[in-house]
Amino acid sequence: MALTTVWTWLEGTELAQHIGISYWFPLLESIHVLAIALVVGSILTVDLRLLGLSALHYPARKIISELTPWTWGAFALSLPTGFGMFMTRASHYAANPAFQIKLVMLVLAGINMAYFHRRSIRGIETWDTASSTPRAARVAGTLSLVLWTGVILAGRWTGHLN
Amino acid sequence: MAAAIAESDANQWAFDLLQNVPGLPPITQAVHILGIAVVMASSVMIDLRILGLAVPSQNLTEMVQRLMPWTWIALAINLLTGLPFILARPYRYFLNPVFAWKIVFLVPAVVLAVVIYRRLGRTKAESSQCSDDQRPTTALKFVAAASLVLWIGVILAGRWIAYSDYLFWPE
Repeated sequence: MALTTVWTWLEGTELAQHIGISYWFPLLESIHVLAIALVVGSILTVDLRLLGLSALHYPARKIISELTPWTWGAFALSLPTGFGMFMTRASHYAANPAFQIKLVMLVLAGINMAYFHRRSIRGIETWDTASSTPRAARVAGTLSLVLWTGVILAGRWTGHLN
Repeated sequence: MAAAIAESDANQWAFDLLQNVPGLPPITQAVHILGIAVVMASSVMIDLRILGLAVPSQNLTEMVQRLMPWTWIALAINLLTGLPFILARPYRYFLNPVFAWKIVFLVPAVVLAVVIYRRLGRTKAESSQCSDDQRPTTALKFVAAASLVLWIGVILAGRWIAYSDYLFWPE
């Protein structure tokens, strides 16, 4: 209940109202698309390496360490642009099932990534340059592909529900 | 062009398809965005590598050979996923200056990707290590910078197609 008050307050702010009626909304949205394409593109490359399907010439650790900063940088850009759009109709989006599914998948993708980086990555020295990858890495890569595809799909669906 | 499409069977077919199959528009658009993500991971990453901004350990020639085919596949998928919307509502696109910009950015972006592919993707990748003889020429860096700007332009303009009123019919 308290949250609904927050959403109502948020969409009533001058900033939210200004974004909602001006070119700011499409500007934020277009930058958001650019950012998520880089988020998912960089993650896709890492996922395919974890699945042992691509870039096997390179140590897995190199692929991960060189691409992760791009993922985070782009993610950092997607957050304020996404939030700027969210605040224009906060109660509407918070109640939008597609948006809710998107957030759940985003959290699951984050948990999958955190689990991989804390647990499954142990012992990466043993398969860093090997021609195949262990099961834990393949599971993390598959889950990541499925969840990020879901985030994109649910995100795009959000705009179709009124 | 728009009028010819509007009177065609393809127009009716695409319109009915997008109208009647539940969820088809968002699904098709999501695939289109995934295609954009693949272009970001391939052509755009190659641009960033040429400019010395990303993935320094990757061998440029090997990278072009491994990744550029993904760009071609993504472009084919995005043509397929974009086309139904144009066929269904041709006037929305052909009378829209923002769509024209997207095409004006897209065509040279594809040409430059082909230029980079022909320049680097046809030679043999000797090792996976980056060596000094691979240092990109100034001309190649210029091509990569232009390619990067054009891809960003394509993506931004693509999203603005739906909002051209904001630019051309201000309140």
